[in-house]
Amino acid sequence: MTLSALIIAPFIGSLVAACLPANARNREAWLAGAIALAGLLFTGWLFMQADPGEVLYERIAWVPALGLEFVLRLDGLAWVFAMLVQGIGLLVVLYARYYMSPADPVPRFFSFLLAFMGSMLGVVLSGNLVQLVVFWELTSLTSFLLIGYWHHRADARRGARMAFTVTATGGLCLLAGVLLLGHMVGSYDLDAVLAARELIITHELYLPALILIALGALTKSAQFPFHFWLPHAMAAPTPVSSYLHSATMVKAGVFLLMRLWPALAGTEAWTWIIAGAGTCTLLLGAFAAIFQRDMKGLLAYSTISHLGLITTLLGIGTPLAVVAALFHTLNHATFKASLFMAVGIIDHETGTRDMRILRGLYRQMPYTATLAIVASGAMAGVPLLNGFLSKEMFFAETLLVGGDSNWWMSYAALAVGVFGVIYSLRFIAVFFGKPDQPLPREPHEPPRWMRFPVELLVLTCLVVGVVPAISIEPILHQGVVAILGEATPQYDLAVWHGFNLPLLMSFLALVLGAWSYQLLRRRFNLRQREQAPLIHRFSGAQAYENTMLAISRAADFMLRHLGTRRLQPQLLAMTLALLLVPALLVGMLPGLLAPAPHPADAFFVMLWVAGGACALAAAWQAKYQRLAALALAGGTGIVTCITFLWLSAPDLALTQLMVETVTTILILLGLRWLPPRLRDAGPAAAPPWPVRLRRSRDMLLALGGGLGLALLSYAVMVRPMPDSIASFFLEKARSEGGGSNAVNVLLVDFRGFDTMGEITVLAIVALTVYALLRRFRPAAESIAIPAQQANPVDAATRQPPAEQANSGYLQVAGIYMRLLLPFMGITAAYFFLRGHNLPGGGFVAGLIFSVAIIVQYMLAGATWVEDRLHLRPHRWLGYGLCIACATGLGAWAFGYPFLTSHTAHVELPLLGELHLPSAFFFDLGVFATVVGCTMLILVALAHQSTRSHRLPEKADPAREAR
Amino acid sequence: MNALPWTQQLILVPILLPLLAGALLIPVNEARHNLKFAVNLGCNLVLLLSALILLGLSDQELWPGHLGVYLAANWMAPFGIALVADRLAGLLLLLTATLSLAALVFSSQGWSRIGVHFHSLFLFLLMGINGAFLTNDLFNLFVFFEVMLAASYGLVLHGYNTTRIRAGMQYIAINLVASLLFLIGIALIYASTGTLNMADLGPRIAALSAADLPLLQIGAAILALAFLTKGAMWPLGFWLPTTYAAASPPVAALLVLMTKVGIYALIRIWSLAFAAGPAAGFGLDALFWGGIATLVFGTLGILAAQEPGRMAGYAAIISSGTLMAVFGHGDPQLLSAGFYYLLGSTLATAAFLLLVGLTERIRSPGAALLALTMEAFAIDEKPEEPVGVGIPAALAFLGLAFAASALVITGLPPLSGFIAKFSLFHALLNGEAGISLRDWTLMILILCSGLAGIIALMRFGVRTFWASGAVQPPRLHPTEAGPVTLLLGLCVAMTVLAGPLLAYLERTTRDLGQAGSYVEQVLSTPAVPSPPRGEAP
Repeated sequence: MTLSALIIAPFIGSLVAACLPANARNREAWLAGAIALAGLLFTGWLFMQADPGEVLYERIAWVPALGLEFVLRLDGLAWVFAMLVQGIGLLVVLYARYYMSPADPVPRFFSFLLAFMGSMLGVVLSGNLVQLVVFWELTSLTSFLLIGYWHHRADARRGARMAFTVTATGGLCLLAGVLLLGHMVGSYDLDAVLAARELIITHELYLPALILIALGALTKSAQFPFHFWLPHAMAAPTPVSSYLHSATMVKAGVFLLMRLWPALAGTEAWTWIIAGAGTCTLLLGAFAAIFQRDMKGLLAYSTISHLGLITTLLGIGTPLAVVAALFHTLNHATFKASLFMAVGIIDHETGTRDMRILRGLYRQMPYTATLAIVASGAMAGVPLLNGFLSKEMFFAETLLVGGDSNWWMSYAALAVGVFGVIYSLRFIAVFFGKPDQPLPREPHEPPRWMRFPVELLVLTCLVVGVVPAISIEPILHQGVVAILGEATPQYDLAVWHGFNLPLLMSFLALVLGAWSYQLLRRRFNLRQREQAPLIHRFSGAQAYENTMLAISRAADFMLRHLGTRRLQPQLLAMTLALLLVPALLVGMLPGLLAPAPHPADAFFVMLWVAGGACALAAAWQAKYQRLAALALAGGTGIVTCITFLWLSAPDLALTQLMVETVTTILILLGLRWLPPRLRDAGPAAAPPWPVRLRRSRDMLLALGGGLGLALLSYAVMVRPMPDSIASFFLEKARSEGGGSNAVNVLLVDFRGFDTMGEITVLAIVALTVYALLRRFRPAAESIAIPAQQANPVDAATRQPPAEQANSGYLQVAGIYMRLLLPFMGITAAYFFLRGHNLPGGGFVAGLIFSVAIIVQYMLAGATWVEDRLHLRPHRWLGYGLCIACATGLGAWAFGYPFLTSHTAHVELPLLGELHLPSAFFFDLGVFATVVGCTMLILVALAHQSTRSHRLPEKADPAREAR
Repeated sequence: MNALPWTQQLILVPILLPLLAGALLIPVNEARHNLKFAVNLGCNLVLLLSALILLGLSDQELWPGHLGVYLAANWMAPFGIALVADRLAGLLLLLTATLSLAALVFSSQGWSRIGVHFHSLFLFLLMGINGAFLTNDLFNLFVFFEVMLAASYGLVLHGYNTTRIRAGMQYIAINLVASLLFLIGIALIYASTGTLNMADLGPRIAALSAADLPLLQIGAAILALAFLTKGAMWPLGFWLPTTYAAASPPVAALLVLMTKVGIYALIRIWSLAFAAGPAAGFGLDALFWGGIATLVFGTLGILAAQEPGRMAGYAAIISSGTLMAVFGHGDPQLLSAGFYYLLGSTLATAAFLLLVGLTERIRSPGAALLALTMEAFAIDEKPEEPVGVGIPAALAFLGLAFAASALVITGLPPLSGFIAKFSLFHALLNGEAGISLRDWTLMILILCSGLAGIIALMRFGVRTFWASGAVQPPRLHPTEAGPVTLLLGLCVAMTVLAGPLLAYLERTTRDLGQAGSYVEQVLSTPAVPSPPRGEAP
């Protein structure tokens, strides 16, 4: 619990901070400061305790199966970075206390800041690479939230999105790279990876892994060509810029390169990728920094340039370069953080950061000005300041790497030195001269404690710059040894190394820089320049937005070609898939098509020709003549029904007949309310060729689908039946199922469970239809009375349906139909009772019963029937399902599984012995459900008429008013 | 009397309880919202409990082979219908119960009242889903699919408006065709093997002659098309985003689960039917590449989508595609990572869909559009006073919940989505056969889809939460915040408990790999002996 406390504490603090009230600036700051200070002291203490060179571990099992362990590992390098993160963090918290306005919602700010601190500590302390990636992405996330802190500003939102897209993409690359490393080494443990250098650099996957990891590091550290997000991240509050975007988070990339240096560095690919990117960044950043007008923008580009310098050093790959890289990382953190804070103070006190307006601030804020000037001296590499030392080491390394012949690296280094001096001078120019226009606010010195962090950091710059050997060397050494181990070179941090080439370069840079600055100022009006020459055309931000827009447009374009929102193309795709997938996977089925064993009967063939014709005609007429199509579909149904009879399946035939009857009637009732589909007006010209083409395609597809299914059916029918489970049912239906009608026994016993599901489906469908039609209003054009019913000659048109049946022209039919009701009821009961042994059963009986009621509805209208007959379809449905379930559950009482059937033999006084199978009750449930379902749909449809007749009358006044 | 032990009877509860409760609620008057809700809630809690117990039971040594077999109507397999509870079924039952509980509580305030019979349809839907997970019979599977689909038709149309009617029409038409394919597939399989029992299929298929095999394979391919239509494989899944966007949020959350039922059925049947013999691994290659195509399609879709509902739909397509490719790949370790991915992505997508309903309250389209244009053209506003806008608690909750679900969907650390992707990659890279082209393709596409998700969801999130100019904090009821918290909390728990969970999933996958013991166990479970004739039981 020792090391993990370092990481857990900030996260807990983050939660606590989020819960504090919005105006609790002091409490928030105290909380965050206390956590940072405690962490700092604890980290320092831990290291004092440990033996030199010892690595502290803490392991918590997480997903052992994947080699994922939560490992915290504190070695010299992690220690140096942890101290940096917490030290700067402490100062930033203090600074932010004064920087943030009382009106800002600070809980969010400190909460995110603490979460970031925890994540960053997680990155540096990770002993497992996957875990490192986790924290890495967390830093991106918290950075996103902090950049977008002032989210009502468009620049903040854009900066946040840009930063997150770039760094999260890099994070994904890093993940892939780490996985490759893990694959090569066989473990994600950092120690194992560091020990496997030979294995890694000779592995065939070394290059992809290196590229992916480099992508991760370069995006995070804002290296060319991914540098563009950093200047836009400056939309964040200044404490965030100072902490995340100069001192710590952007250093995560170089930290990673240092961390993996022992395992990956030293190859040609490493040098080309890392040093190449570093050098480009170095020059580009420094050049762009000169021409900024926003002070934060200048610092951002300068940060990019300095990160490039560190990256270049790491890319060079000599041990001394690593020393210089780590040294410069620390130096840069101190002077850049202090500079950002100074800019924040200026911004805070004057209300602007625009270097075109700012002038002569020295007079109003001499103290801050002095601090900023010293810090920019460090940035420019002025002797006796820390920046000078590491920059000189950089010059020395560039000289070394080029040897005697190749000087390009040294020229680049010198150019960067010159640029650095120029932008440093440009930066401090705000303190001198005479103000020529009024500032938004009258500047004055900031509060005492707001300046304190800057003072402390600048003091560090001075101390390190003057006495490096005493101040920084012990700390630096810890880090260097942790990276290099036995390869640690002899190095000497001193201000004076005698006259040599690096010193000359430093001197040259200072002189040339000062001279160029004057030149630029006098000749090129540097002060009022708004854009960097040459490179301003390559606006990273615009490129990013354009890319995003292009991506989403391209996706949209592809989507329109690869997908659809319309129904017809989807059905087309399904039919195509039905045809192609089996054909491609299995091939055609020639072997399956044996000749039929019996010749076909002529009558049967005729029957099917008629049925097929009906089906085709129904499809043909479906578009404009729905009634005809329905009648024709009914013809097909009858043919199916006769076929069942022909093939000795009376049960199926009976059911099919009843289903056909009921569905046809119900659809007919529904058709009344569909608006007619009108043919297009105009002469029937030949359709244009794309239409014809489409129709031919559909025709072909339909033919193919139909033929394919026909062939399959044929193949199934002509092949001998396999040894199937069917024979079992035939054998056991009577002996164990207790019924001689195997189909019914199958339905209520063997597979009663299926039947229960099916009646549930019926109930659901009925409920859905009811829910849909409950408040349905027919389309306007179908409300009018149909022409057939509106004939003025016909007396019936003026009578309601009930009157027609009672005393009108339907009187004869009415009497007969009403007499028929009890007979149909008895028929239903008859079919129900004989079901277990002969064709019939609850399903058929239910349908017959429904027809009996439908007939009454059709005869005399809904109102008349419902006045006399209280049907409660919902109850029929609900109780029907319950009866079926309860019958099944009855078996539980006897210790049998659900739906186990049992036959009771009851002696009744008049009827004698009665077989009373439990399936009887189950069938009763089926019966009730079917009746309920049909009735519910019928009622839902029938009530349209009662509603729609009211409608036009209600609508009329409104129409007249319009 | 050797009655069935309660543990065995428990297998039926996830099917029977919702059926009974749903049936009893049909006649109850719609005005009695609270009663209906209470019954539904109680039922859901029992389902959750029973799923937990089944999960525990299947992981113990109680049942031989970790399989609980229930013979409905007391007929031995393959003649009767057998229900089988194993680790995978238990896990998915638990997922269903959790998700439905969240959706139900979420709907209690408003969504359940915008139409009639919500609670009955909801319960029937649960019955169908649970039945599909438990059954071991092809035709019974069809029945439960029908129960599930019929209920989902009703629920998609629940509280109908023009959008829902239009989307529902498409949804119903596509699924009816898929059901037809389902039936044709079953018929062909029955015609060639003579059985409907999934356990019985394996041995019978292995014994088929080379001449008989094509018919079976055609049947299986058609059956797979039906499942893949429900699982939204490209080009069969265009219905999905439209339906998700149109359905009411709690229903959409349940639809996320239904997509997975198709894939579950595919995995179940294939691991039994094509485990060995000459047809072993039939069609898996095609499934893999189909999954890849789906992944690409989903990635494009999420980039192009503008409405959050469609975005969630494409996220579901991405996760379907990933799962198809994972199963088609055939590596068992990959499959157990895939199951982990399934759990997390289902929970997060469902949470996201619930959130979508809530974010509608804070969106003001005008402000969002303006902000979008300004960002796209890199127009700088005049820098304003650096004073932030306080996020009221409700808005903060929505923002955090959105961020969490987005993290899981895109697979960013630290939530379960990352572990899922990591374990997928780990399995891909460290498979026994080295890294093939297929492994690289899948890995790169999963990464790309994650990136696309990041871009799309960030765009939506920034627009909704930062640029909306929301002045008033949205009204948020505990019954709306609670379910979202529950689902996302589970994602967090999955991250912390990734070790044990993955170990469990590994056992699950191992079960799937041992088709032989499954077959033996199912076919040898005896029926409860009937009492001698004439004696009243």
